[in-house]
This record gives sequence, structure tokens and C-alpha cells, in this order.
Amino acid sequence: MMGFYFSRLVEIYPFFLKGLWMTSKIAFISLVTCTLIGFVLGVIRSSNNIILKRIVGVYVAFVRGTPFVVQIFIIFFILPDWGLQLDAFPAALLAMAIMGSAFICEIVAGGINSIHKGQWEAATSSGLTMIQQLRLVIVPQAMKVILPPLVGQYVLLIKDTSVVSVIGVMELTRVGWVTVVRIPEGLMVFSLVGALYFSISYPLILLSNYLERKMAI
Amino acid sequence: MIEFKNVNKWFGKLHVLNNIDLKISKGEVLVICGPSGSGKSTLIRCINRLEKIQKGEIIVNNTPVHDKHTNLTKLRAQIGFVFQQFHLYPHMTVLQNVMLAPVNVKKLAKSEAEKIALEKLEQVGLTEKSSAYPAQLSGGQQQRVAIARGLTMSPEIMLFDEPTSALDPEMIGEVLDVMVNLVSEGMTMCVVTHEMGFAKKVAHRVLFMDEGKIVETGTPDDFFDNPKTDRAAEFISKILTH
Repeated sequence: MMGFYFSRLVEIYPFFLKGLWMTSKIAFISLVTCTLIGFVLGVIRSSNNIILKRIVGVYVAFVRGTPFVVQIFIIFFILPDWGLQLDAFPAALLAMAIMGSAFICEIVAGGINSIHKGQWEAATSSGLTMIQQLRLVIVPQAMKVILPPLVGQYVLLIKDTSVVSVIGVMELTRVGWVTVVRIPEGLMVFSLVGALYFSISYPLILLSNYLERKMAI
Repeated sequence: MIEFKNVNKWFGKLHVLNNIDLKISKGEVLVICGPSGSGKSTLIRCINRLEKIQKGEIIVNNTPVHDKHTNLTKLRAQIGFVFQQFHLYPHMTVLQNVMLAPVNVKKLAKSEAEKIALEKLEQVGLTEKSSAYPAQLSGGQQQRVAIARGLTMSPEIMLFDEPTSALDPEMIGEVLDVMVNLVSEGMTMCVVTHEMGFAKKVAHRVLFMDEGKIVETGTPDDFFDNPKTDRAAEFISKILTH
């Protein structure tokens, strides 16, 4: 019996590859956007602008304090009531961008805050603009603190892409669901799904460990 | 060159600068001393607006520093600042530290900025350390690099905030020597320090502060040998006996 299911699984293997491709696509696009937005928000959060800082703080608190699945539901099912109708794929990307950027914001702000105030003052005194101070003096030093947890966050975000299956995006987890209906070998199907996720996230886990060791010196 | 008019500043309830009136002329070397918390560091940090003042006016080279619309980048390029804790950029070499402002603020070509930076490093006697990182240098060497970094924009004013207080005693001399050389070049300098020897040797005027006020000013010899106020006399006896 097992052998029969296994051959079925081999038959629909291309379906899994498509799911893997979709997962990779969502992961890649959202990691890039999360990082960009997260850095901008992190800089604001660590700045002296009290009003903007508060706004970002509230945003981060909301995002971190609610389940991701609820955020997706709001974007996909509730926003249309307010006139913003998104397909499943862009809705998934938007949800990932909102969620991921909040977490990355905190990592970036923590890194920037770890830099001694004197570095800002020295850069200010030499006449560098705020952007130059960040780009040339602060962020290069803060990267040491930011990088290890950032890569760790990437691993979490890649795994969180599985949640977007709830709105019907045909990514890896959704492929597992659909397959298991036809091939009632849950263990086998989801082992395969798990192994495919692992194949993307494990290199990043290794990278994160490596960075942590390297930056600790 | 630098003028304080009725300057007031508060940190919360603490009145850290209390009605400061002060004129510093071109080429003058002013030493500021006083107990900790007297507002002396705050006073010089206001000159390049590392600190904002709440009342009064500060004019540097005809530029109103307190004015919101003042181009601070331009102002700060004319003023070098040296910190107690050096604050070199640890991720850059000595040369990169010194070149950073000319390349990014003055937009000089790298080769030109490098030439100026090497000149300034020679001035502080550290040409051979140009490719070292700050962590590889002694405290005295780091502070000399910091002075070179301050000089690299060819400022008209140099501000020193306790430049030798974080140094081991045997390194104080090398930093003071560099500063004495600057005096002989006619640089306008404000130095927060308790180095009496330096003050007596090169300062034109000593300013004594306590609780946010200028308590006494005078020539170094007058001030250290015949202080007019009891507060200053008490302070001088303390720095002498320790």
C-alpha cells in the first residue's frame, strides 16, 4: 500500500516543486521588502522624533501583539469591505511585509541604540548630515549587533510564509493540504513538505550561527 | 569670533547655564575650569550646537548658532571638536577617520582628502599609524588622531572637552604638546581642562565656572596665584593637593 502511495507521490512531485517555488517567491520578495521597511522604521524608532517614534512604536506593538493569521484575515477578508480588494498573492505579500518589518524594526532599533552616543556626536561635530552619520558611522557599526538576529528572523519569516496557505495561496503548505486529500498518507506528505522547508531555512540557520560566533569576537 | 549673549540653558530643572555673557576673540586661547557639573562642557558644546540653548544668543563668526535656520553643516565645518573619550570611529582606519569629513562634507576628491589627512597626521606625529585601527592605538595616540580629525576641515576654532582626563598620566604630555603647537599657529581655542601647567603656559584667559555661572575670569597667573573669589580659591587648592 505504502509503495503505491509513494509512486503516486512521485507522480505529483512537480506539484510540490511549484509549491516550493511559490514559497521561495513569497519568502524572497517579503524578506527584501521587510528588510527595507524594517530599516527605515528602525531608524525612526531609534531617533529623537518623539511623535514619529510613538507612531512606529504603536505599529510594532500591534503587529507583535496579534497573531499573524488574524492579520492575514484582516487584510484578505476585512479590507475589501473598506474598498481594498487584493488577490491572495499580493495580500500574502502585504501581510508578510507588515508583520516582518515590525520585527526587523525592533532588531535594527536595538542595534542602533547599542552604539555609543559619542559616535553620533563626533559625526555631528564634523558636519556630516543625519543620513551620512547613519550610513557612514552608525549603521556599519550597528550591523555587528543587527546581523545575527536579523538572519535568525529571516528563518522565522520563511516558516511564517506557511500561514498564507489559509487564504489559498498555492505555496508549499497548501500543496501538502491538497495532496493529503488525494493521498491519505499524512506522515509521508508532510514529511516531504517539512523537508522542503528545511532545505531553504537550514542554510540560513547555519549562516546565523556562523555570524553569531563571528560577531561575538 | 565667538560671542555668548545672556545665554541660558536648563536640563529639566537644572539651570546648567545661567546668564552667560562671554566674548572670545580670534586667536584667543581660553581655558575653562570648574567642578564637575558646573556647566563647562555644556558651554563649549553649545558653540557647535551639540546642545541647544533655550534663551539668549550665540554668535560664531557672524553666524547665529541659536537660530533654527542656520546651516549647521557649514558652521560645524569651521569648528573642530575633541572629546574626552576620543570617539574615533572604530570600524575605520586612522586615515579613514581623518578623511571622512573632507570627502563627505567638503566633497573633496579622495586623493586630495588623503593628502590633507596625512598632513594633519604628520602634525600630530602619527603618520606611521595611518593604516592602524583605533583599537590598536594607545589612549594618547587615539586622542592625537582625534585632534587630527578635528583639524582636517581646516577649522578656525578648536574646542576641547577635557582632552586629557581619560588618559594615563604618561600620555597627557604628548597630547598637550600637540595642543601647544596649535596655539603657536594662532588657532582660536576653548579648552575645558584642569591642566594648570597647560593653562599657565599658553592660555590667554582662564574662566572659572560653578553652578552654571561664570564666577571668575582672569589671566592664568592671576587666577591660579591670586584668585579673587573664595569659591575659586577653594577649587584651586583642591586640584593642587590631589
